[in-house]
Amino acid sequence: MTARGRYITPLAWQAATILALIALWQWAALTYPAVYLPPIERIAQGYFQIWHGDLLHSALLPSLRRLGAGFAIAILVGCVMGVVLGSLRSLDPWVRPTIEYLRYIPAVAILPASLIVFGATDQMRIFVIAFGSVFPVLIAATDGARRVDPILLDVARAVGLSTAERLVRVVLPASLPSIFSGMRVALSIALVMMVISELIAADDGLGFYILRNQRLFQTANVYAGVLTIGTVGLGLTLALLAVEKRVLSWHRGWRGLTETGRG
Amino acid sequence: MDKSAAMNEPILAVDNLTKAFPAGATPILNGLTFRQEPGQFVAVVGPSGCGKTTLLRCIASLMQPDTGSVLHRGRHFDNPPPWLSVVFQDYNRSLFPWLSVRRNVAFGLRGSGANDKRVDEALRAVNLEHAADLYPWQVSGGMQQRCALARSIVVSPNLLLLDEPFASVDAQTRIDLQDMVMEICQTMSLSALLVTHDIDEAVFMADKVVVLSTRPARVVEEIAIDLPRPRDQLATKETPEFLQLRHRVYTLVRKQAQKLSR
Ligand SMILES: Nc1ncnc2c1ncn2[C@@H]1O[C@H](COP(=O)(O)OP(=O)(O)OP(=O)(O)O)[C@@H](O)[C@H]1O
Ligand SMILES: [Mg+2]
Repeated sequence: MTARGRYITPLAWQAATILALIALWQWAALTYPAVYLPPIERIAQGYFQIWHGDLLHSALLPSLRRLGAGFAIAILVGCVMGVVLGSLRSLDPWVRPTIEYLRYIPAVAILPASLIVFGATDQMRIFVIAFGSVFPVLIAATDGARRVDPILLDVARAVGLSTAERLVRVVLPASLPSIFSGMRVALSIALVMMVISELIAADDGLGFYILRNQRLFQTANVYAGVLTIGTVGLGLTLALLAVEKRVLSWHRGWRGLTETGRG
Repeated sequence: MDKSAAMNEPILAVDNLTKAFPAGATPILNGLTFRQEPGQFVAVVGPSGCGKTTLLRCIASLMQPDTGSVLHRGRHFDNPPPWLSVVFQDYNRSLFPWLSVRRNVAFGLRGSGANDKRVDEALRAVNLEHAADLYPWQVSGGMQQRCALARSIVVSPNLLLLDEPFASVDAQTRIDLQDMVMEICQTMSLSALLVTHDIDEAVFMADKVVVLSTRPARVVEEIAIDLPRPRDQLATKETPEFLQLRHRVYTLVRKQAQKLSR
C-alpha cells in the first residue's frame, strides 16, 4: 500500500502535465502553422460540437448504439456459451478446437466477408463488433465455470436445483470475477471494431466523421473525433469498473480473506 | 404407498453398497450394509480416507453406487430427495461467498424465500440472527458452520447427513455445536447420520455407532448406545456406561488403524 502510494501523483500535477502538453501544442501550432497542426481552440470547437446538436445524432449516438448492441451481444453470447461449455465437460472436446481456432482470426479480417453477408448496414457493424469482442468474454466465462468449487455444485444439487438452475445460480455468479476481467479486454476490442467498421461504406458514426473531415482537410475535426473516441473509451471503462466494483464487492473481501488466510 | 408400511420402513437402508473409482478398480466401499430407524441418531466412524464422504454422497443420491442399494423409506432416488439435507465436510467451501448468511440459508429453500419466516426460524435455531446480513467470509468458522447447519434444517428435513461437521473448529466451539445439533435433532425429531473420526463425539451424540473398516470399507460392527437423553457434556461423559462404550468403539477403531499401518 505504502509503496503504491508513493507512485500516485497528486491531482494537481496530473492537471499540470495535461496543461503543459496543451501549451506545447499551441506553441507549436502558432510557430509552425501547418495543416496537421491546427490550433487548439479549433480542435476544442470541433470536440464540443460532437457532443450536441446535429453531430451528436449523426456521429456520436450512432457509434454508441452500435457499440452498445455489439458489446451486449458479445457479453450475452459469451456468458451463456462459456458457462455451458465450462460446466458440461463432455461438450468441451467437440467445441473447444473450433473456438480456439476462431479466436485467432483478427476480427478485422472478417470485415469484407460480413460486408458481403450483411451489406453496408448497421447489422454488419454490430456483427463485427460482437465477433471481435465475444472471445475474451467466452474464454473468461469458460475458465471461470471450470473452476467452480464442485462442493458448491453438490450443495445446489442436494437442495434440488435443476441443471439449468445450477448454471444460473451457482456457475454464473461464481464465474463473474473472471467474466468481468474478460469484459474489460472485450470493451477495448469493441471500441476498435466500432471505429474500423465505420470507416467502410458508412454514412454516420464517429469513424465516418473522422474519415469525412480527413477528406475535407478539416484536420482540427479529425483530431476532435479521435479525442472523442478516447473519451468514450475512458468513460465506458470507468463505467464498467464501477459496475464491477458493485457486483463483485463480495469477491474482493472474500479473496482478501482467503489469501491472507493462506498466508 | 401404504402409509403404515411407510411408517415401519427404516428411514435409511444401505444394502451391500459397493463403489470403486473408476468402476471396476479396487473398491473403496465394499458390501456396506446398515439401517437407520426414524428418529435415530447414527454415527459412522472410520479411519481417515476410508470412504466416509463417498458413502455419504451415495446415501445423499449425489452419486450412484456400483452395486447395492440405498433406500429411503423403501424407495430409491436418482437425485437427493427433498426431505434429506446435507452438511458438507468443508463448510467454508460449501457456503456461497457472494450471498449473505441469510441468503445462504434461504438457498436451502432453493432461495425462494429470502424473507421467509422459516429462514428467520432457522437462523434463530442456530443463534445467527445478528449476523444474517454479513457475508460468510466475514464471520468465524463456528458461525460459518452454524450457517451451513441452518441452511440444512430450513427445509425441515427428516434426515440430516453430517460429514465431519465439527472437524475444523476449536474445542469449545465443537462442544457448543455438538449440543446445538443434538438439541435441534430432538426438537425437530430429526434422524441424523453423522460421519466422524472422533470416537468421543460419536458415542456422546449417537444412538448407534457404525464402525467402518479401512479401505475397502465395510461395516465392522454396529454398537447400540443406550445412554439416556438429554446428554450432558460433563455428566454423561463421566458415567461408567459412557466410558465402557467408548472403550469398545476405541478398541475396534484401533484394530482398524493397526491394520492400516501394517
Ligand atoms: N470422485 C472421485 N474420483 C476418484 N476418486 C475419488 C473420488 N471421490 C473420492 N475418491 C477417492 O476415494 C477415497 C475415499 O475418499 P473419501 O473422501 O470418501 O474418504 P473420507 O473417509 O471421507 O476421507 P476423510 O477422512 O479425509 O474425509 C480417497 O482415496 C479419494 O481419493
Ligand atoms: Mg470425508
